[in-house]
Amino acid sequence: MIERPASAHTVPAVARRDFLRLAGATAAGWLALGAMSDRIRIVVSLTALPLDDELTRRNLTEAKTSRLGGLIGGLKQRGWVEGVNIRFELRSSFGGPDKLKAAVKELIDLKPDVILTGSTVETAAVMAATKTIPIVFATANDPVGNGFVESLAHPGGNATGFTNSTAEMGGKWLQLIREAVPDLSRVGILFNPDTTPRAGRFFLDSIEQEATVSGVSVVPAPVDAPAEIDEAIRRFSEPPKATMIALVDSFLVINRQAVVAAAAKYRVPMIYPFHYFMDAGGLMSYGPTLEVRSADYVDLILRGTKAGDLPVQSPRKYDLLVNRTVAQALGLKLPFTLLARADQIRE
Amino acid sequence: MNEAIDQGHLRAPAGRLFRKYLYSIVALAFAALAISTAFDVWFSYREQKQLLAATQREQAASAAVQIGQFIGQIENQIRWLSHLPPELSTNEDERLNAIRLLRLSPAIAEIAELDSQGRELVRVSRRVADRIGSKADLSATAAFRGANESRTYYGPVYFFGDTEPFMTIAARGAGRDPNVIVAEVNLRFIWDLVAGIKVGNTGKAYVVDRMGVLIAHPDLWPALRRSDLSGHPDVRAALDGGAPPAGGLVKEDLSGQRVLSTYETVPSLGWLVFVELPLSEAYAPIYASIGRSTFLLVILLALAVLVSLLLSRRMTVPIQILTQGARRIGSGDLGLRLAIKTGDELEALGDQFNRMAAHLRESYATLERKVIERTSELEKARDHALAEHDAAERARSVAVQANETKSRFLAVVSHELRTPLNGVMGVLQLLDDGSLGEAQRRHLATAAASGETLIALVDAVLEYARLEASAETLETRDFRLDQLIETAADLMRPQAFGKGLIFDLACDATVNTSVHGDPVRLNRILLNLIGNAIKFTPHGGISLNAAAERHDNHVWLRVTVRDTGIGIAPDMHERIFEDFVQADDSIARRFGGTGLGLAIGRRLTRLMRGELTMESTPGAGSSFTLEVPLGLAASGIAQGAVQPPSRQLRVLMVDDDPVNCEVGEAILNRLGHRPTIARNGASAVERARDQSFDVILMDLHMPDMDGVEAASRIRRLGLATMPRIIAVTADVSRSARERLAGAGIEKVVGKPILINALREAIEDDPKDEPAAVQLAAGALIDRHFLDDQRELLGAAQIEKLHSLLGETSEQLVQDITKAAAAGDHKQLARSAHQLGSAASALGLVRLFEHCREVELAAATMSPPECQGAARELAALREASMSALYDVLQPAGQSSVG
Repeated sequence: MIERPASAHTVPAVARRDFLRLAGATAAGWLALGAMSDRIRIVVSLTALPLDDELTRRNLTEAKTSRLGGLIGGLKQRGWVEGVNIRFELRSSFGGPDKLKAAVKELIDLKPDVILTGSTVETAAVMAATKTIPIVFATANDPVGNGFVESLAHPGGNATGFTNSTAEMGGKWLQLIREAVPDLSRVGILFNPDTTPRAGRFFLDSIEQEATVSGVSVVPAPVDAPAEIDEAIRRFSEPPKATMIALVDSFLVINRQAVVAAAAKYRVPMIYPFHYFMDAGGLMSYGPTLEVRSADYVDLILRGTKAGDLPVQSPRKYDLLVNRTVAQALGLKLPFTLLARADQIRE
Repeated sequence: MNEAIDQGHLRAPAGRLFRKYLYSIVALAFAALAISTAFDVWFSYREQKQLLAATQREQAASAAVQIGQFIGQIENQIRWLSHLPPELSTNEDERLNAIRLLRLSPAIAEIAELDSQGRELVRVSRRVADRIGSKADLSATAAFRGANESRTYYGPVYFFGDTEPFMTIAARGAGRDPNVIVAEVNLRFIWDLVAGIKVGNTGKAYVVDRMGVLIAHPDLWPALRRSDLSGHPDVRAALDGGAPPAGGLVKEDLSGQRVLSTYETVPSLGWLVFVELPLSEAYAPIYASIGRSTFLLVILLALAVLVSLLLSRRMTVPIQILTQGARRIGSGDLGLRLAIKTGDELEALGDQFNRMAAHLRESYATLERKVIERTSELEKARDHALAEHDAAERARSVAVQANETKSRFLAVVSHELRTPLNGVMGVLQLLDDGSLGEAQRRHLATAAASGETLIALVDAVLEYARLEASAETLETRDFRLDQLIETAADLMRPQAFGKGLIFDLACDATVNTSVHGDPVRLNRILLNLIGNAIKFTPHGGISLNAAAERHDNHVWLRVTVRDTGIGIAPDMHERIFEDFVQADDSIARRFGGTGLGLAIGRRLTRLMRGELTMESTPGAGSSFTLEVPLGLAASGIAQGAVQPPSRQLRVLMVDDDPVNCEVGEAILNRLGHRPTIARNGASAVERARDQSFDVILMDLHMPDMDGVEAASRIRRLGLATMPRIIAVTADVSRSARERLAGAGIEKVVGKPILINALREAIEDDPKDEPAAVQLAAGALIDRHFLDDQRELLGAAQIEKLHSLLGETSEQLVQDITKAAAAGDHKQLARSAHQLGSAASALGLVRLFEHCREVELAAATMSPPECQGAARELAALREASMSALYDVLQPAGQSSVG
């Protein structure tokens, strides 16, 4: 993403001195590397996913699309080579509040130079544990509201990072699912109040606003445990015609297979906030394209920039993914407007 | 370059020229190179900078164009949407078109279509739910108004969600009631563009809006911080519309790095694209160029030094060869050829040198040949002269030898004559014992007178011989001058009267004085002069005038004898003083005589440092004047009368000749002493040992041992009272005296023994004896020195030296005599010096001292003085050699018996 093409010389007059410049650049590179390699830097990543989740598995981290993979690759481009001058540690908070606490303690004890966090819950837990170690959060829906930063442009504290879907996205999800299911009369909102921003209210306001405009009733379907997912979805298989919206929720991500499976089982059209759900066989997803440039910020922080000076980055691109096969299975006919908007139509 | 003529030698003196050339060439090369390099670097630097700035401006322009295109594309899309005829499309179609547009343009976050009244028809968004037909009145918005006023509205940059730079672009459609499309554009998409702009290796391009707020930056996050750069002077200046400086601007960028910065305005938007390149990178080629130029300069300089060395050598070596060649030619090495093969003027100069040297060589050869010729001519002439000189020398030496032979003959003959005469005279003296008759006494007197005459004649010959050999020395003592003259006059008066001549004696009162001199010799001269006057005056008279001028330390005696005789011809005035010359051969026949009288007289006079001169007129008479200096007598000298013997002495008479013994004994008895006779040396020694004697009269020539030997033996007896030993000999030469002095013999009595002389000798107290004789005799040779020499060198060597000294000294004396005669003072001094040196080698101190005196005084001597000095030296040499001979020679081999 940050890749810069190999330098093409645009200054022919000095082209003949390339060898000198090359030598100089090489020397400078060695010097820079030498200056930084005085000790191994430690970068710790805390994820809500279990370590056996395919999203966190090491072999997959090599992929650029994965957060950790993007980070490792990006840092390598900037001279941070794993095992040479940097060490990556991955910790999972999966398993409940105790597990989260233990994981946080464990990573603080590593005396890391930078802590990367996944979602809002982990960020809050780490921020509670340290005010000095720089924290880069990968996804936070409301960093200002959560008290992670003072403002997006000037965070001020020891944390910065990337925001995810904004609150208005709730209305967008409802609009999109309505386009797929024009005759719906109610919409179920699936979320775990513990792991969703502001226990779901973050998005519910815009959903309810849009629902009012379009005459749809909003039915929250909070779940606390994976076992409740099936029942929560089943309730929307019965008439009147209903669809569901899955909110931004690490719980749902962890249990994406169960969610998608239940939606298919009970033939409930559901819109998801991440493409992970599409990989699991979901109908459609709409959310910001993950342009997480953690490597940039980790690099800057490792070189001495204060995390509080780095602005929080917001998403600029949004992807609409639609699975036509699933739609057909559900008996849905996708309109042109939806298809025209879709960035990816899966069969 | 050259054929190496002694390179090392050549290089030694030069070097200054070499260094001068070297430094000059190096300086020249360095200056040229340095100036060239400096210019090169300077222009290169300027060109590089301009090129760099131009490149950067191009990059900025390119970036500006890209950004303009980016926006322009969005504008075109919006314009396309706005130009769709409104009556042809439903709202749903409008929405679909908008959705399509969103797909085309990711930067567009939201599109709204307003009708011509400003009411919202459709709003499609990526973030919020789409809205269709809301009819919201947006006619008051800047975008709507702006779109209506101009073709396209570009809103100001605003930040959405605190960090996202957004801009509103609005466009109005065509037709009567055109719709207005309002799009919200997320400017973060420019980031991709900006990040893709390559500025060198580490340079950056960034964009600020019309207010100076950073919109896009490759590092993204500075833009997200809403950085306001309007405070930066360069941004401020750019916003105020100033053109970028042609060569770019050097400033510090956001991270404090020094960069070369330039910018370009994005057309229609008024944004500024800044392009910045770190100086370290921007100037790296310039620095590299300078470094390379310097490196090249150093290399060229080293090359220049090498070339200078070669060049300087090429220039200086021939010059050094020339210099060296000139020096060697100057020092006479004309055979030298300079080998300079430079093929230029230097070679020509070298050839010229060679030609010059060749000419010089030829000239010298000619000169040398001439010199050799002249030299050989001169040598011939010299050889000839030397041969003549040798011949003359041989002739002279033959003559000298003949003369010596003559003298020796005379000496021997006269000596042999004296011995029998001695006997005759002695007997004649003894005959008058008082008992003779008158006639007998007269006969006896005649016989005695004849004897005396004969003795005088013999004496004259002997004396002459001695004088000839310069062996005569004065025997000085105190005497009464008046007495001497009167005695002489009394002696000669009877002769004058006998010839009927008047004899006048006129003595000045000044003559009545005692003087110190040799009365015997003086008397002889006077008698000779008076005798000559009587002899050559047939009639008339003779007058004798004497006067003494008293001076400080001497008395100047002047005696004039005048006669009225035959006179002497003027041409004979000097010759008559020569040996064996008489005024006329007839004179000899008429008057007799040896012709030696005046010669002896003059020689004796000169020996006394006086002068004997004459004036004469033939037929009128002659006048001889004797002038001689005499010493002052010591006070208290006995006046005149012969003293009787103070006491009776015991005298040992030693003589092998019975006649002499008898005569001697008789005389001694007559004198009142007690004689004892010894007939040979051995018995003399025996007698001296057995009896006590006051005086020993020792004959020197005896068959068993010579007198000297006998005297020595007596001396060695160690007697309680040592008798005085008096030698009796006819040889009263100085050398003989010296030899005697060595044996302790202080006095000599001549043979034949005259009663007065004997009495004088016997009764003379040795203490009254003037020390001069003893001293002179003793000082002639430094015996000590000689003995040391002998011990040091050995007798054989001394003998060799002796004979050598004999030869050289003889030669030198001849040289001295010659030089004196020629008046050559220098030669005289030189020869005198040589003689002195030779003499000193064997301790001949007197000769040495006299030589030194002569040497020192030679320059101021008059010719007569020179001659006198030469004679003295000759005499002294003879005496010294003789003494030396005696000292060195074993006893009994004396040449003169």
